[in-house]
Amino acid sequence: MKFIHIADVHLGAEPDAGPLYTDRRPREIWETFEHVIHTCEEEQTDLLLIAGDLFHRQPLLRELKETDALFAGLTHTKVVLIAGNHDYMKLGSYYRTFAWSENVYPLFDKMVQYVDFPELHTAVYGLSYYSREMREPVYDEITAGGIEPVEILLGHGGDEKHIPIDRSRLSDSGFAYIALGHIHKPQALEKNRIVYSGALEPIDRNDTGAHGYIRGEITDRGVRIQWVPCAVREYLHAEIPVEADDTMVSVGKKIEQLINRNGNKNIYKITLRGKRDPDIIFDTKRLSERGNILETVDRTEPAYDLKRLLEENEDRLLGRFISRFAGCREGSVEYEALCEGVDALLASRE
Amino acid sequence: MPKMVITELYIKNFGKFSDRHISLHDGLQVITGENEYGKSTIHAFIRAMLFGLERGRGRAAAKDDYTRYEPWGEPGYYAGTMRFLCGGRTFRLERSFGRYSRQASLICEDDGEELSVEQGDLSVLLGGLTPGLFDSTVSIGQLKSEPGQELSAALENYAANYYETGDGEIDLNAAFQVLREKRREAEKAVREEEAEAEAARRKLLQECAYLERDMQRLQSDYEKCRARLHERNTERTIERNTERAAERQAGRGGAGSGGAAGTKGTETGGKSLMKLGAAGLLAGLLGIAWGLLLGNPWFQENVKGLSGMSSFPFLLIGGCVAAVGIAALMAGGMKKVRGRSTAGQKVEQKPRQELNTQNTEEKKRLAWEMDRIRGEWKEKEIRRENLREQCEESESSETLAALKRRCTAIALAEEELKKAAEETGSQTMRMMNAKASEIFAFITEGKYKRIDLDENRKISVWDGERRTAAERLSRGTIEQIYFAVRMAAADLLLEEPVPVILDDVFAFYDDKRLVSALKWLSSCGKQVIIFSCHKREEEIVKKEELL
Repeated sequence: MKFIHIADVHLGAEPDAGPLYTDRRPREIWETFEHVIHTCEEEQTDLLLIAGDLFHRQPLLRELKETDALFAGLTHTKVVLIAGNHDYMKLGSYYRTFAWSENVYPLFDKMVQYVDFPELHTAVYGLSYYSREMREPVYDEITAGGIEPVEILLGHGGDEKHIPIDRSRLSDSGFAYIALGHIHKPQALEKNRIVYSGALEPIDRNDTGAHGYIRGEITDRGVRIQWVPCAVREYLHAEIPVEADDTMVSVGKKIEQLINRNGNKNIYKITLRGKRDPDIIFDTKRLSERGNILETVDRTEPAYDLKRLLEENEDRLLGRFISRFAGCREGSVEYEALCEGVDALLASRE
Repeated sequence: MPKMVITELYIKNFGKFSDRHISLHDGLQVITGENEYGKSTIHAFIRAMLFGLERGRGRAAAKDDYTRYEPWGEPGYYAGTMRFLCGGRTFRLERSFGRYSRQASLICEDDGEELSVEQGDLSVLLGGLTPGLFDSTVSIGQLKSEPGQELSAALENYAANYYETGDGEIDLNAAFQVLREKRREAEKAVREEEAEAEAARRKLLQECAYLERDMQRLQSDYEKCRARLHERNTERTIERNTERAAERQAGRGGAGSGGAAGTKGTETGGKSLMKLGAAGLLAGLLGIAWGLLLGNPWFQENVKGLSGMSSFPFLLIGGCVAAVGIAALMAGGMKKVRGRSTAGQKVEQKPRQELNTQNTEEKKRLAWEMDRIRGEWKEKEIRRENLREQCEESESSETLAALKRRCTAIALAEEELKKAAEETGSQTMRMMNAKASEIFAFITEGKYKRIDLDENRKISVWDGERRTAAERLSRGTIEQIYFAVRMAAADLLLEEPVPVILDDVFAFYDDKRLVSALKWLSSCGKQVIIFSCHKREEEIVKKEELL
């Protein structure tokens, strides 16, 4: 039995992707989803498992129609889906009334249900969200019912507010494969068995790294899966090291080099770190002018030799001011206050 | 670091002087010259030799020292030499200030060792004396006040800053000013960033508002449709009643035989009436559904006023339409029965039959239209709810967080600086006050015992019996307090004895106090260079043998 497991597609999302890509981003999310559907058709995948949050919010009727039309075009693949916390079964949701194509099997009940595919010797279990949050660890009590030789659980959640997951209980649940969604970073809780496919495309600026789907096969010898990256873009959080001799120009160059190295198609969030020349101020807006930079954050600190300043000014205001911040960590608000104060005091000398 | 004594100045070209030697010695000395003699030029030359002379930039350059002392004739030879003793060794410092030939050399004449000014060897010899420190301690001119400021206030500012900073260079008020400006800037940036986020939010809300307007329009369209449907059904009922009356009349008339065609015609009418009834029932049910939709709790919660009011009539009307639909169905059934029993009225019925068909079509169309509106309305409703969700979720950028953090940090810096100043103040105040009071008491020959500075930066003097506020003291006495504070500061702040330069400082001193001041200076252990336009200082120094 061949399957593809996707989750957190977030159709309809309009993520901030910087001035260059924000406009086309919603379209790209659809296109990658279509790409997966085409892959299912090409590879004659038996099951397409969608582990929640297919839509970013409540689907519009036209969106559901588009989606179902894509599903309907699959000549072989059967689709099983659940509703996640984003596209939960809200009162009045089209999910509650929509008539899906024959090959689509939504597990839209609040309680666990299963759909049986005798021809595949497979049964897929799952349940759906009926509110934005679900704090009960409902997966703890679910076990494979033994209806078919191969049983799969579709799950969504894994944090405090969204069905907390107990890994060991899932491990003992008896399912051959557990297709999880909700956590956008692809990861396995148990190798080849309990797996988050991760979001299909990064949806949030914090969805860093590559994204894609899982292609798997269940045979007599067990489950074998492969994670397939397919997202068009990545969000990259990069740090630019700053030294005392850096200026706007040199930092701008470093940023450019970084982007050239990592690809222009990606979306960057840049943090400047290190000790800067106290006289230099980085204009982060200007540094972010390249279209694919979401924002640049200046976390540099002025390169003061605080120890020396303290020694030389022990009984004076400057020394006393510095010693009021004794023991504060670099990077803390207190340290920032210390630097601002020292800067002001030294500036007053002139 | 050991004591520093300037022994010789050679002014190659500087201001009005060229090729001029001036010999100096340790201890007290007076350089007397009339106005315009160039005392300030010599003073500036010493400063330029010690710290260099940078050319200002832009418009400010027109008035700076560099331009002021740039020689007219040979700007290329804008230069000089200074010989000084430091730690028992003699050094020769040469500088050239020319625009294209700026350079400095420092040589120890005892062993010929060449030192580097650029590498900071001179700073080491000066023992950390910076231009700022030089200006605010040992290089003394007359006390100057800001335009419109009382001299006593200028003194108080000056002294307070000393007390609070324990430092000759740092200007506490200026530091606070810098922090305030920084904070204002950061706060402005926060506001801008927030305004941007708010604009994005507004855009979403605007879109919500458009959707709501569309939804209202759809609702009114729906109501129109429903009203028309209701009308059609009512018409039908009236018609039927009229028909019944006509039938009764016909029966009375005794036209007994029923024509086949007539029956057929009536039957058709009956069927279409049934269809109509079904359509009416459907519309009614749609109405109920609509009403239920509007009446559901989350909707009421979200759109108060719009739905809460209209759901009831919607339900009611839905019910009515349904009822009319049922009636029509029943009437259709009855009609069928009746059609068999009554005589045909073919001619009369024909236009009505057409009307019926038309009516049916219209009702079908209305029901379909209502269905369509409802669908469109719901699509917009979901879209709007999604937008609202998005609005609530909108995350704040890291830039904003960093800016807010900066505001907090600057506020904290201000707070801590204030505390540090208080802390420093109480300690340096004791030390400085003791020292300055001692000098001041010496100059006034014990008339005043103490100088005091209170928390409000007010200076007063204490003569053992009475306290007098500074603003009530004479110009001379204020100058003497200023002198005492400066000399105390030089003592406390400078690790090494450096030459003291007094530029026309004693103009307001009476003879007695001038003698005391000069006596104090001659015994302070420093090289003292006094510039004066009066002969008074020179005479006293000679007479009192203070050399």
